[in-house]
Amino acid sequence: MRDLVEFGIKELEDKDVRYGDIRLSKINTEVISVKNDTVEAIKNSESEGYGIRVIDGGWGFASSADLSTEGIQKTIKRARKIAKASSKASDPIELKEIDIYEDDYTTPYKKDPFEVSLEEKLDYLIDVNKRMDIDDRIKVRKCDFRAWKTKKFFASTEGSMIEQNLVKTGGGCNVNVSDGEDTQKRSYPNSFGGDFNSKGYEFFESLELLENAEETAQEGVDLLDAEQCPEGKMDIILNTNQLALQVHESCGHPTELDRALGTEASYAGTSFMTPDKLGELKYGSEMVNIVSDPTAEGGLGTFGYDDEGVKAKKVDLIKDGMFVGYQASREGAEKVGVDVSGSMRADGWKNLPLVRMTNINLEPGDWSKKEMIEETDKGIIFDGIKSWSIDDKRLNFQFGTEAGYLVEDGEVTDLIKNPTYTGITYEFWRNCNAIAGEDEWKLHGVPNCGKGEPPQTMQVGHGCAPSRFKDIRVGVGKW
Amino acid sequence: MVASEREFEKISEKVMKEAEADEVEVRIIQSDTALTRYANSQIHQNIGQEDIDISIRAVFGQKTGAASTNSIKEESIIDCLSKAETIARYQKTDPNFKGLPEPIEMEKIPENHVDQTAKFTPDERAEKVKDIIEMAKSEGIDRVYGAFQTQEQNLFIANSKGVRRFSRFTSANLTTTAIADWDNDQGFGWSESCSDDVRDIDHMDVGSTAVEKGLNNMETRDIDLGEYDVVLEPLAVKSILQYMDMMGFSGKKVQEERSFMTGKFGEKLMDERVNIYDDVSDPDMIGYPFDYEGVPKQRVDIIDEGVANEVVYDSYTAGREEGKESTGHALPMPNPMSPLAMNLLMDTGDFSQEEMIEETDKGILVTRFNYCRPVHPVKGILTGLTRDGTWLIEDGEVKHPLNNLRFTQNLIEAFNNIEAIGEKRKLFAMGFYPAYFAAPALKISDFNFTGSTEF
Repeated sequence: MRDLVEFGIKELEDKDVRYGDIRLSKINTEVISVKNDTVEAIKNSESEGYGIRVIDGGWGFASSADLSTEGIQKTIKRARKIAKASSKASDPIELKEIDIYEDDYTTPYKKDPFEVSLEEKLDYLIDVNKRMDIDDRIKVRKCDFRAWKTKKFFASTEGSMIEQNLVKTGGGCNVNVSDGEDTQKRSYPNSFGGDFNSKGYEFFESLELLENAEETAQEGVDLLDAEQCPEGKMDIILNTNQLALQVHESCGHPTELDRALGTEASYAGTSFMTPDKLGELKYGSEMVNIVSDPTAEGGLGTFGYDDEGVKAKKVDLIKDGMFVGYQASREGAEKVGVDVSGSMRADGWKNLPLVRMTNINLEPGDWSKKEMIEETDKGIIFDGIKSWSIDDKRLNFQFGTEAGYLVEDGEVTDLIKNPTYTGITYEFWRNCNAIAGEDEWKLHGVPNCGKGEPPQTMQVGHGCAPSRFKDIRVGVGKW
Repeated sequence: MVASEREFEKISEKVMKEAEADEVEVRIIQSDTALTRYANSQIHQNIGQEDIDISIRAVFGQKTGAASTNSIKEESIIDCLSKAETIARYQKTDPNFKGLPEPIEMEKIPENHVDQTAKFTPDERAEKVKDIIEMAKSEGIDRVYGAFQTQEQNLFIANSKGVRRFSRFTSANLTTTAIADWDNDQGFGWSESCSDDVRDIDHMDVGSTAVEKGLNNMETRDIDLGEYDVVLEPLAVKSILQYMDMMGFSGKKVQEERSFMTGKFGEKLMDERVNIYDDVSDPDMIGYPFDYEGVPKQRVDIIDEGVANEVVYDSYTAGREEGKESTGHALPMPNPMSPLAMNLLMDTGDFSQEEMIEETDKGILVTRFNYCRPVHPVKGILTGLTRDGTWLIEDGEVKHPLNNLRFTQNLIEAFNNIEAIGEKRKLFAMGFYPAYFAAPALKISDFNFTGSTEF
């Protein structure tokens, strides 16, 4: 692989392009889904190819799975032709200068998920599936396992040569229940197939699906008879599996500099956090600190270098409640005069790198969830992602979770179903009045973040601890 | 495109010859995608992608395994077969799996493949984009955004029972967002066009519609939340159809009691003027004539004169019900999302959009929706926001633009509250999966807006 990359860089240098890079990767994926005691899907995929970016007049990008030197030459020719076409409607492109590395990085892990026998994984998932079979009203019992292994090289005409070997693993279980009148869903440890980390099989084992299967299934059944979420304004506490998505949608996306500069305006949308608000916008209460941190141990968005060759580093986005930083590419950083964040990533070899979240983490506070509950007169605890929607500037959001728990006079009382809450991003975060401490802080993986055209899916991480927000509108819609 | 039907057949023959499994299926998808993105009236991303996916499904008895590779080297393909067979051997017996599909004779349907689309060049895309940029500038807008995509795909399916299918497909899609931006105010406008033939894309019409909407969408105002009559343009209706499809029209979801159609067959669900069907052979539709198992796509009348009539099946879900056959709606298998209606149309009515507006005392005109998500899929409750052009209608006239609004609405109720159906329908592509929708405009009463935003 390295030889082919070196050949490509030499070709780009010979063609005298202003800038060029090659990213060659081989990606192995294993997906196992077990549903109602039968295996719904097992698939093992392998994909290998490269993407070539050039600045040759304008930007050009071409990708191919043809792993011959002729294939590289042909793809460079295509990228250059595209770049020339771009120059018909493109201002000069400037890139922020970066440190150049010749280095390698490997995900720290204990057990290679691809070396664990298929039989062991299948037997375990089927055991979990059977453990959830506790009530006739459970119509679907599902367990998932997923693992990814990526070997990739990045090289540029500026001298970068970086090899990375990344491993990610995870899974989960869920039930769909129905009594003919209503239908509910309950998942563990989260929706979207579970939870995922940049670790080996040991992470999947640590999820303890078997130990949690029955309780998850029972709560799914209990939701059928639970009371409907009340309407009104009250304090809410978000458990980490839902708070991770709140951070994702209302801080992760709007602090992507490409969105703020408009380059996603026609698809994913723009951002209310425009460059004129940098350092000026009071985003949240003073206890709110949010960072982009691709160095976080085990995060699904953890790596050594991004797809522009920028070394992973922790960057402040929200500091003491103020908007202070962006997730920025080399081009965006140069345009706005901010630092690069090491956030440019592509979905596989085929796609163009975009500004993507790494691990966008809400830093821990000094409360405990127990204290939050004790100091809440009337509120709802939200748990487990079910529905999520936000406007194209990332202001008005509405989330629904699988389960809610009423808090009355400092105590958790009833389970409630179809809980929803809604708000405006900066008002919501300004109303954050409690964040739990480090011992309750958890790093979740979101494997399905969509962005870009053609659409790309990215794996990102979000660390957070349970947090409380005051005076939030809950129970939206007619039921 | 580098490979021909004959080359695909050779790969398939090799796999069939080497296979030890009782049954084997080879699916090859080869694609070449070109896309020019523009933002702030500049081309900022411009790409060309080519890839091939060779997927093999191996079957021992009622045990299946699948593997895929994107290498056409013989050793990689044999390794892929070996992985699929190993997985199948380790698999557990699935009593619901009744085998790979048998060959079915099908009428030759003309391919949706247009050479001019396949050969469209980066220069041609850039010129069209430049035209839009210059036209917008002449109207005072120097911020247009969008993407111009052309794609060519080959799909080959074969199985050891004798299924052999090959089809070529092209698509072209142009989108434009125009942002009028001055005096600390912004107006967003949108338009798009989709066809298998790039020559059908009227780029100036797309651009000028977006510009006109952007210019007419400044100085937006708030409105009280509540229920309003709405006139939904075809793109907004497409979003509703797309989510109805995901929430209700799959045989699997019905079987698992996760569909709003479950237990409702034969009952009137919606207004009697509502006909929703999946039919790739309709002149207003494009797509492959067969599904990803090689089964010919049949017309499925899902909602027939408002009545819940039938849903779509792949071979697996059909095998779970006595007397059912696949309707030709398998996604690439194995796939938890399969089956899915991928060529969905709604029948037109008698009204022009202008007539719908004229007959509205007080209502809201919606260009499109953003970030829709099910709140309760089985009840058919969806939330989302308006985007890129929302206006107040009063006394039969469009009065002024509104800040974007959030709806939280039961779609079944909404389709019972239809007051008028548009006389034309428009074709739209889905981004994340290979589906197309043909939707008319609709006027619906009592549409529930539950939130608003600041622009």
